[in-house]
Amino acid sequence: MNKLTKEEVRHVAHLARIKVTDEEIEKYQIDLGKLLEDVDKINDIEVETDELLVTPVDQEAILRNDQETRSVNFDEIKKNVPAVTGNFVEVPVMIGE
Amino acid sequence: MNDYKTTVGIEVHCELKTNAKMFSNSLNNYGGVANVNINEIDFALPGTLPTINQYGVELGIKAALVLNCTINKKVVFDRKNYFYPDLPKGYQITQARNPIGVNGYVEIEVDGKKKKIGIHDIHLEEDTCKSTHADTKSYLDFNRNGVPLLEIVSEADMNSPEEAMAYLEKLKELLLYANISDCKMEEGSMRCDVNVSVSKTDKLGTRTETKNIGSISSVGRAITSEAARQIQELEQENEIHEETRRFDEKQERTILMRVKETGNDYRYFPEPDLPPYYIDETYIDEVRKTIDVMPDKRRSIYLEKGISLVNANKLIQNKPLSDFLLGLEDIDLVIASNLLLGDISSYLNKTEKKITETSLTQAKLREVVMLLKENKITNKVFKDILVDLMETDLGISEIIEKKGIKTISDESALLDVITKVIEANPESVKDYHEGKDRAIKYLMGQIMKETKGQANPALVNQLLQQELAK
Repeated sequence: MNKLTKEEVRHVAHLARIKVTDEEIEKYQIDLGKLLEDVDKINDIEVETDELLVTPVDQEAILRNDQETRSVNFDEIKKNVPAVTGNFVEVPVMIGE
Repeated sequence: MNDYKTTVGIEVHCELKTNAKMFSNSLNNYGGVANVNINEIDFALPGTLPTINQYGVELGIKAALVLNCTINKKVVFDRKNYFYPDLPKGYQITQARNPIGVNGYVEIEVDGKKKKIGIHDIHLEEDTCKSTHADTKSYLDFNRNGVPLLEIVSEADMNSPEEAMAYLEKLKELLLYANISDCKMEEGSMRCDVNVSVSKTDKLGTRTETKNIGSISSVGRAITSEAARQIQELEQENEIHEETRRFDEKQERTILMRVKETGNDYRYFPEPDLPPYYIDETYIDEVRKTIDVMPDKRRSIYLEKGISLVNANKLIQNKPLSDFLLGLEDIDLVIASNLLLGDISSYLNKTEKKITETSLTQAKLREVVMLLKENKITNKVFKDILVDLMETDLGISEIIEKKGIKTISDESALLDVITKVIEANPESVKDYHEGKDRAIKYLMGQIMKETKGQANPALVNQLLQQELAK
């Protein structure tokens, strides 16, 4: 009945690094299922081309010159960072790479 | 156990030599003070949008040209999604659907055998930040975050560690000579992930990926040890799993790493923040014109001009010296390469200078080579004037005059010295006539000593033989 299994919800939550409770999983099963139904409606629309429409604006990208640069003082950036050691951003240890 | 065939494919990431980053306008420079070359875009602050660095695209086109790829003229980007602190946006901008170059190749040579190694595709993307791990914390430096990267994906066309190393050497040479990347593996501006599988049949075995290997020779050793491990597993009737491993240099073996997201889990989709960009033929032609003479072409010129293969390769490995010879192909390149690889290299090493930082000009080198070739000066004289050649703007004749060096190639002046030495050493003359080889060397030495090394040895030898025969 549900479009998504509990396992699939758990997997998506893992990819987003979000902790979910069993109750939440049931709720997301329904919510995400509805989203997928909406996507199905879009998929049903018949289009004349296979070309992906990436942006609604019919304009070519304007490339940036390689010479002009801009940097921001780390003190400004720090305000948006949870923890700092010296000039480094500090995060819980990452395992693996 | 030798009936197993090893198959290798390699993914190379190299950083592009741009001034600014790929999708943000902060400076492309890392390795110094942490978190100084950063801006709002690198930190993915709300309201920021990426833009495409024109020169990054240009270097992508250049790479496609030197790696014999077909260029995709529609440049589009995609998002590769994964959550990791080294990437604040939560995705890397890359090219998944439409890489800038496809179906290329490079030609390698191992044990005299030539082989084409296919390039599946090359694509533009951005580097992640540099992380340093401690016990409970990781420390992040975002200077590297957003640095333009070119990923070069080979076909699984290599069948030995030697072929893999030759492929990487060739790739490095091409990227270096086209001024695309520094390709310094020790500093991380070139990194390799190696896919290895073994099989007894034509059907490929299950492959493993060994990531971030630190040098080309380590790539060779990693392949040797990983292929041996897989063969051992198969011989024990175990299965090979598709997994990511790393190479432990000290233990000389590959070690299993944590399994991260793969394939579908990256949920690739078109980057909506960047509209497509179209490359036209004229632009490609313009880029083609900026490509320097490639190493293979240089090597064939060197060999044609009589330089040994060893010295030709030494020149190729030292691009500034090889560049110095561009446009000097009409002079005696054997003499010129001996000077560059010998005394001039010693001088540059000692003074820690680049050849372009000295006063040596192509015109001066041309003149010195001519003088040496025509025996107007000796190697000894060259050594004496070297420092002045490298450090002053004086011409060669001016230096020689200033230093009071006499270049003796005047026959009558030489004959006087030769006669004098012959008269002073009757024993040696006797020995010479009795067929003792050492005697003539001794006499030569005496003459060179008398002339303070300024006489032309070939001429001295000729005149001495002539005088002794009388």
